[in-house]
Parts: sequence; C-alpha cells; structure tokens
Amino acid sequence: MMKDKKMNGSFGYRMRKDWIRNRSLYLLVIPVVVFYLMFHYKPMYGAIIAFKDYTPALGVAKSPWVGFANFTRFFKSVYFTRLIKNTILLSVYNLIFGFPAPIILALLLNEVRNKHFKSITQTITYLPHFISLIVVTGMLTNFCMTTGLFNDIIALFGGERAPLLQDPKLYRTIYVASSIWQEVGWGSIIYLSALAGVDSQLYEAAQIDGAGKWKQLIHVTMPAIAPTIIIMLIMKMGSLMNMGYEKTILLYNPSTYETADIISSHIYRIGLLDQDWSYSTAIGLFNSVINFGLLIITNKISKRYSETSLW
Amino acid sequence: MKVKRSKGERIFEVFNYALLTVIMLVCLYPVWYVFVASISDSNLLTQHMGILLKPLGFSTDAYMKVFQNPMIVKGYMNTMFILVVGVFLDLIMTSLGAYFLSRKRVMFKKPIMMFIIFTMFFSGGMIPFYLNLKDLHLTGTLWGLIIPFLITTYNMIILRTSFESIPESLVEAAQIDGAGHITILFQIVLPLSKAILAVMVLYYGVSIWNSWFWASAIIRNREMYPLQIILREILLQNDVSSMAAGSSAMDTEAIGMTIKYATIMVATIPILCVYPFLQKYFTKGTMVGAVKE
Amino acid sequence: MKKRTLSLLLTAAMTATALAGCGGSQTTTGESTQAEGANSGAGASTGAGETKAEGAGAGAAEFSYPMAAGDKLSYWCELTTTVSANYASLGDTPFAKGWQKETGAQIEFLHPPTGQLKEQFSLILADGNLPDLMEYNWMVDYPGGPEKAIKDGVILPLNDVFEQYCPNLTAYLKANPDIDKMIKTDEGHYYVFPFIRGEDKLCNTIGLMLREDWLEELNLEVPTTIDEWHTVLTAFKEKKGAAAPYCFEYTNAQYLNSDPFAYAFETNRSFYLGSDGKAHFGAAEENYKDFLATMAQWYAEGLIDPDLATLGNDQVSAKITNGTAGASMGQAGSRMGTWTTAARSSNPTFKLVAAPPPTLEKGAKAEFGQIENKYSGRASVAITTSCKDVERAARLMDYAYGEAGHLYFNFGTEGESYNMVEGYPTYTDTIMKNPEGLPVSQAMSAYIRGNYNGPFVQDIRYLEQYYTLEEQKATGGTWGDSNGKAHVMPPVTPTSDESREFSTIMNEINTYRDEMTLKFIFGTESLDNFDEYVKNIENMGLSRALEIQNAALERYNAR
Repeated sequence: MMKDKKMNGSFGYRMRKDWIRNRSLYLLVIPVVVFYLMFHYKPMYGAIIAFKDYTPALGVAKSPWVGFANFTRFFKSVYFTRLIKNTILLSVYNLIFGFPAPIILALLLNEVRNKHFKSITQTITYLPHFISLIVVTGMLTNFCMTTGLFNDIIALFGGERAPLLQDPKLYRTIYVASSIWQEVGWGSIIYLSALAGVDSQLYEAAQIDGAGKWKQLIHVTMPAIAPTIIIMLIMKMGSLMNMGYEKTILLYNPSTYETADIISSHIYRIGLLDQDWSYSTAIGLFNSVINFGLLIITNKISKRYSETSLW
Repeated sequence: MKVKRSKGERIFEVFNYALLTVIMLVCLYPVWYVFVASISDSNLLTQHMGILLKPLGFSTDAYMKVFQNPMIVKGYMNTMFILVVGVFLDLIMTSLGAYFLSRKRVMFKKPIMMFIIFTMFFSGGMIPFYLNLKDLHLTGTLWGLIIPFLITTYNMIILRTSFESIPESLVEAAQIDGAGHITILFQIVLPLSKAILAVMVLYYGVSIWNSWFWASAIIRNREMYPLQIILREILLQNDVSSMAAGSSAMDTEAIGMTIKYATIMVATIPILCVYPFLQKYFTKGTMVGAVKE
Repeated sequence: MKKRTLSLLLTAAMTATALAGCGGSQTTTGESTQAEGANSGAGASTGAGETKAEGAGAGAAEFSYPMAAGDKLSYWCELTTTVSANYASLGDTPFAKGWQKETGAQIEFLHPPTGQLKEQFSLILADGNLPDLMEYNWMVDYPGGPEKAIKDGVILPLNDVFEQYCPNLTAYLKANPDIDKMIKTDEGHYYVFPFIRGEDKLCNTIGLMLREDWLEELNLEVPTTIDEWHTVLTAFKEKKGAAAPYCFEYTNAQYLNSDPFAYAFETNRSFYLGSDGKAHFGAAEENYKDFLATMAQWYAEGLIDPDLATLGNDQVSAKITNGTAGASMGQAGSRMGTWTTAARSSNPTFKLVAAPPPTLEKGAKAEFGQIENKYSGRASVAITTSCKDVERAARLMDYAYGEAGHLYFNFGTEGESYNMVEGYPTYTDTIMKNPEGLPVSQAMSAYIRGNYNGPFVQDIRYLEQYYTLEEQKATGGTWGDSNGKAHVMPPVTPTSDESREFSTIMNEINTYRDEMTLKFIFGTESLDNFDEYVKNIENMGLSRALEIQNAALERYNAR
C-alpha cells in the first residue's frame, strides 16, 4: 500500500516535472501525432471490414459481421502455402543480396580519391532509381527475350539462348538482381552520408598506428556506420513481407507463377480487379500481423547484441 | 601529409576503379538506350532487335509529338505544385517529428516512438485508406496527394538519427540563453543538418515525382493529372487490350515506339537535373562530423 | 410495385447525397460542383416526381430534342487512346460537343487513367459516390453480374425507364428480339444502354494471318488444316529463316480466349457451348490435350516464338514487320493494317493474307471459330442510383438508338465528317485524309463514336470505309467461315447468390490452367500428367462451376 502510493507520487511528480521541462516540445509534436492518427490509425479502424462483408451501400459500420470467414477462406485457398513461400523467399533473397549491396558500394566509393570520378560514379549509379518501374520492367522483358541483350551476352560466351523470363527457376534471380541494379546507388546515399560523418582524425590516427586499409575498415569505418546499418536492417526486416505488387504484376507471366506470385499481387488481383474488398483487406491484415511480429523479433535481437534499437 | 601506399593498396585501387566503372556502365546503358531510341527513326527502331549503341537514323518527331499531347504541360504544372508544396510541408513535418524524437530526457518519447513505428509495419490496407481519404474530402483534389503523405516514417527516423548526433551541449547552451524549442530547431539544428536535409529533399522529391497510384485512384478530373499518369498512359497506349476488336487504331504511320522513349526522357530529365544542385551537400555531409566534440 | 421501389431508391439516394453535400466543407472545384448538384437535386425532387407522372400520362411521342436546360450529368467512361492522343477529355471533342448540342443535355465527362479502368471502377464503387452514368462492362466485370449490381443499389433497373423515356431503344429491341434477350438479366431487368454490333460481320474480329508474299515465293497455298500449317511454318523457318515463324500477342487474354488453333481441335480454353446444348469447360477436356500436344510439338520444333509467354504488342509488331515471324493472329485494323503500313515503308512487297479457321481434315467446314455475340457487355452505360434526373439521363442515352442519333454516332455531322452519296454516308477528307495529318483512327475518334465501343448500334458502313486495304476487307468472309456461332456461350449471368462462389472457383482454376497450359507447351510438364491436371481442376470445384453455368444457361434459354 505504502509502496504503491509512493510509486504513484513519484510518477505524478515525474510527469509534472516533465511537463514543465518539455511543454513546448510536446506542443511541437502535436501536428505529427494528429497526422498519424488521421492517416494511419483511422484507416486501421477501417480495416475492420476484413471481419465484415463490406457493402458500400451499407457503409463500414453497418455491413454485416462475418467473423474470420475471410481469413479462413485465405488459409484454405489452394495457393496459400505457395503465396507465403514465394513471398518469404523473394524477400529473403532480396534482403540477403540487396541489403549489403549499397553498403559495399558506399565503402568502395569512399575509397575513391579522385573527386570527379567519385561524383560522376555517384550520379550515374543513382540514375536507375529515377526510371519508373514500368519502364524498367519493360526493358527487362526485352532484354530477357531470346533475342535480347542478356541472351546476346550469353551467346557471346558460348551459351544457349533461352527465354529467361519463362523459367520459374530464374525468376527470383532476375527480380532481385534488377532491384539491386535499380536501388544500389540510391541506397548508398544514406551510408555515404554516414561515412562522411566519420572523423578523419580517426583514420589518421589509425594510419600512424600502422593499420592497413582492411584494419581501418574493421576498426574505424564499420563501427562508425554500424548504427545506421542496424537501423536500416531492422526496418528492412519489419517490411520483409511488404513486397510491392507493382513489379511482380509487370514482370510475371503464367509460366512463372510458380515462383513469382506473392501475397501482394494476389491482394491486388482480388481487391481491385475482383472487387472483393473485405477479402483483400483480410489478406493485407494477415500480412501486417506477420510483419509486425518480424519487427519485434529483430529489434529484440538487435537490442541484445548491439544495443542499437528502434525504441 | 602523404602516406606511402603499399602494393596491395594500389592493386585494390585499380580494382576499385575498374569495378566502379563496370557498375557505372551497367547503370548507364539502359538510360542511354532510352535516349538513343527516343531520337531514332521509328520505322528502323521497330524493325531493330538486340543491342542499341547509337541512334538508328535521327528524328525529333517523337519529341514534337510528346509536346503536342494536350496533357503534358498540365501534367507538369500539377506535378510541380505537388512537388514544391509537398516537399516543403514534408520537410517541416518530418523535422518536427524527428526533433521531438531526438531529444533526450523526454518522458513520453518512447510511447510516441512506438506509436509512430507501429504504423510502419501495420497498416489498414489500401481500401480502408482510400475510404478514409473519401471521408476527409481529400479525393478529387491535389491536396489529397500531399496531406496524407506528409511524413514518411522511414525518413523521419533517418532524420532523427542525424539530429541525435548534434552535440547536446549546443542545444543546452541555447536553452540557457532562453531559446525555445522552435528557435533551437530552426536556428541551430536545421542549419547544422543541411546535408541530411538535402538527402530528404531528394527522398521526398523523387517519391512524389514517381508516384502515380494514388493519383490514379482519387483524381477523376483529367485536368488535375500529375505527369506520371500521363506518362503511364502514353506508355500503355500501344498495348491496351481492352480496346474493341476490329475497331481500334490503325495508324497511317509506324507504331509510336519512339514516342514512348521520348516520353520517358521528358518525364525523367527534370528530376535528374535537380540532383547535381543537391549533390554538393552530400560531400559536405562532413558537417555532421565537424561539430562533434 | 416496381415503380415504387424505384422512386424510394431515388429518394434515399438523394437524401444521402444531399446530406453528404451539406457535411462537406472543402472548397475544391470537384467538391463544390458536387454539393451544388446535391442541393439542386434535393430541391427538384418533387419536380422530378411530377415530370415522371406527366411523362407516363402524356406518352413519349410529344418529346423532341433538344431538351430544355437542366442539371449537368456526370458521365464516367474510359477514354480511348485514339481520343486521348489529341484531347484531354471526351468532352473536348467535336463529337461530344455536338452530342450535347443535339440532345440539350450538359455532360461532365470523368475518365480513369488508361489501363486503370477496373481499379478506378472498384474504388468508385467502394466509396459509393457514383457518377450519374457509368460506361463499363456491367455484364462481365461487375462481380456478381448485373442483377447483383441492381440489388447492391448501384444501378437502376431500366424497364420502366425504357418504357417511358426511350422510344428509340424500345423500338430497336422490339425489332431485334435476339438482342432484347441478350441485354436482360434472368429476372427480366434491363440494366444498360448497350453497345451492339449491328451485323454479324462486325462480330468476327480476330483471325490468323500470314505473309502472302512468302507463300507465293515458296509456292505454297494459304493453309487450311493443321498439317498444312505445319508445312507452311516449317517452310518459313527453314527457307525464309524466320526465327519465330508463328508469333502472337500471348499476353492479350482476348486472343487466348479465341485461339484459332484450339478451335481447330474443337475446343477452347474457357467455357463453350457443346453440341449437346450444354456449357463445357474446354481446358479440362481431352480435345484440349490434343491441342496442347500439337502446340508442344510446334514449340519444340521452333515453329512458335520461343518467348511466347512474354509477348506483347510491341514485340509481335517488331517481329512481324522485320520478318522474324511470318504468321500471327489479330485484328484486321489495329494489327494487319498497322503492320502492313509500317513494313511497307522498307519492304514494299510485304503483304499479309487472312487464313480461314484451320481444321483437322482437309475440306471440312470448321466447326469452331472466333465470333462475338452482338452484345458482349462491353462499354454499355448504366444509370446509377446517384442519378437525380433519370429522365434526362435516359433521353440523352436514347438519342443514339434513333435514326438521327445512329447516323451521328457512326458518321458524325453531315457536311463536316460525312456526306450522303447516293444514300451511303461517305466520310469526308476530314476523316480519311485529315488536313492536320491525324491518322484515320484518331480523326474518326474526334468526330464519331462508331469506331470504338460505346452505347450505340455499330454500323457496318463505318468498317467498310475504315478498311482501306483489299486484304483487310477480305478478313470478314475468311475468318467468319465457320460454324462458330453455335458454340459461343450466350451472355449468361450467374445469380447474385452464386456469383461469389463461381468467381472464387474460376479464379483458382483459371490461374492454374494458365500456368499449366504454358508448361505443357514448353514441355516442362509432360502431357502424361494431363489426367492429373484435370483431376486437380476438378478438385478446385469445376463440377460446381459447370453446374452454376449450366443453370444460368437454362435460365437464359427460358427468357
């Protein structure tokens, strides 16, 4: 009893103190909180249509409840396991190969002494990011044809020409490689920024100590950009299941469904083309739940081993 | 001070330059391809297969055609409006949030952080989001493409991380001088974060420039279409399968493949031009390190 | 009774919109027009009731165009690419301006971005704020079909509306009972102002075509059987060096649904009407296996483009015009015509010829062939429950089905876009040789509606002038030479209760079929596994789907 009262007192005391100290700071953050309430939390309430049979004439509130029917329908779908598997595999490959690529590029660029060469390389590697996805996939489709650029190269080295985009085994490679191509330069910006922030005195000190390039990398560079890397990694993990539908829809064809069809492309087809709003929202919700789980796990792990965490 | 470089280091340097050159070529070629195709003769291009290194013939017809399109100029205006207003408001809102989250000894910082992070990984989905816009009367207006997208949480966290590296002593000194948080944010923190703000401008700018889905969802009046939707329309123009059988286009001229490429150029070049202006800040990113104690 | 439901619905819709209008505080253009519309709509609600009673009493005979000024109608439709190339909106075209002038209605045109038709339709329905008139394929693309759309409170049943305000369409339907049957639901409701192809010749749209100049050079006849096709394609490959002798736009579902080679085996990848008068699902039948076996053989022999699955119009056009391919499938206008003009600029001897529907035996008449129903559901206009002035909307739409409207929609304004030459509406040079250099298709789209789908009756005389090459004009007779009409599924619709079930089953089956068809053709899956494939399809609920389809067919026949 006594203890509780004391706790309460100290809590209230702390709150009062915090308020006096940070009042203007809290006022500052109000617009941000309102923004999140209006554009993130309100739609979450709208997601209750996943548990309803949403009919526009009745509106969200009055549409009849159907419980978990939309979810069980998804779990029972013949494509359920395949969708989950494809989504996870594609994201994991994207993470394993796509995540380190911009870091490596940033490190390589950091070693370049010639300022002009550095800035030209930077500018050019950013280029693909500016090209819209429709164009990128269009070119990719052309390049993958038996008469396309990739096959020209394969033939140059004595290989057999083949329709690359019709082979389910190659689909993920093409998807991931093109994503890396498009995003590697852009993704390196954040790391270059972090690298630019490393104190040059540290390098000089390391050199005086006789550390070579490799040692400098391990002992100076990496520790300096590690927090950035970890934060980026946690966020990537949390959006592991958030593979967008756009690229998939533009890149796949029935012969590669086996490896290409993922949850989001499925949602897109169901929700927007078949107007099954409740069902598509249910699948989306399921996806969100998994994402969130992944995020929490990664953050826990990161906290334990590196003391860097999102919260 | 010149430090002698070892043999290994020199080999690495050669290798490094070579590798980066290859990466550059790989990134450059498709853009070059689009450029070359856009100024090629459309008939020759239609019949060409495989690698394209230089223009096939020369013709600027495609560009003339693109600028004849009644929508291009309107699209530019609309996109510029969204871009300028959007990026400005985005930066303000993101800075407010990032600044709050970068402060130390704030009691409700963690709950608010959780409140924000949660939305990154948990969303209501496309349909509820749309219905919400409808409720808020944000459909059918360009503001509907600005206000709901004011803060990208990912960007805010990057900005927060950067703000955190600004020495606490500077802020405390200002507080002792009687400065409020707004003054501190706008007169100390932001000026010290030019490099990261330049990055933010690019991040927000490019995503606004390239976005099209929500515009296509909420805008019904063609006068308000942003550029990307028009670009998309022109790109899709040659393969619209929903068109009537036996009653679609028979053009007396060759298929407008070059028009596609010219459109891509027209829609991509402006955003490419912004970049060099911002690039200098990237190298000046050292500022963040310079103020370290 | 029906009438009462209708007016109840109307009142409900009006109140709802009026309320929404009052609640709105945003002052953007879009919103303010909406609010205005709602207010005046509410104010005029009693008036509308009166007019209706009058209309019923006085009959439609006294009415004449143009109508007196009134509320602006909002009209949502896809903007076809031949219009969007020169105009920002359909409303900017001379055609639409003239249409409004003739009818006296004012229209605000709303368009989804090209290629986003279904997506935007879906969102418009989700928020329930509907334009007055919506042009869409209500029969096929509204999940659950037209009857469901009526039940969901999205569109109005039009029986009373036709009777009271649409003398032209009513007369047309009376004269054409076959079409009357097609455009109703099983419950007997009219639901759209339909797009109708005026003649059978307009319904044969897709067929095979190949290089006539090559055939002559190689001393070959136009192939008519599968075996002859094999010979011709092999010759194209070996003697003409065509890397992809047969190449077509595989990514276009319309082509796949009417594949002439599948028809040769008396099958189809989707539903067809069997000789027993029942619905069949072709892709799960033995004939389909034979078709796949032939395709797989051709593919292995390199007679079919190796990049089949990813072929879009771009690539096919390039391959046909540069001689990588020698045979293809497509329409006479947008494919045959475009390719010929493009290729001739560098190869003046380039010539395509239409091939008849292939058969298995020489000389036999093809049993199956591509033909569409005169009413396919496409681009037909429904009046939504949000419409406040139903009479006005109905009169506007009915115009096209009358004599003056028919000419206007198909040929435009006399003296401007056409002239009557001996009773035959002949396009002027404004259309055929546009002074501003517009291609014929774009010039047509500026002045008429007849060259692309829409709510009117399409006139064959438009096509006769649109096809400028002899080989194009021949396509109608060649491609139409089959008994195909007997095997096309009529426009049946599942009941609204069954529709969700039907579409769920068919979505799964179709995805699986598309995937397996390609695997069989590529040889990555052996045809020995065909039985297993059929079994899987059956496990997905094919028999249930067929049951629903056949019940719908019975109801259709009983109409």
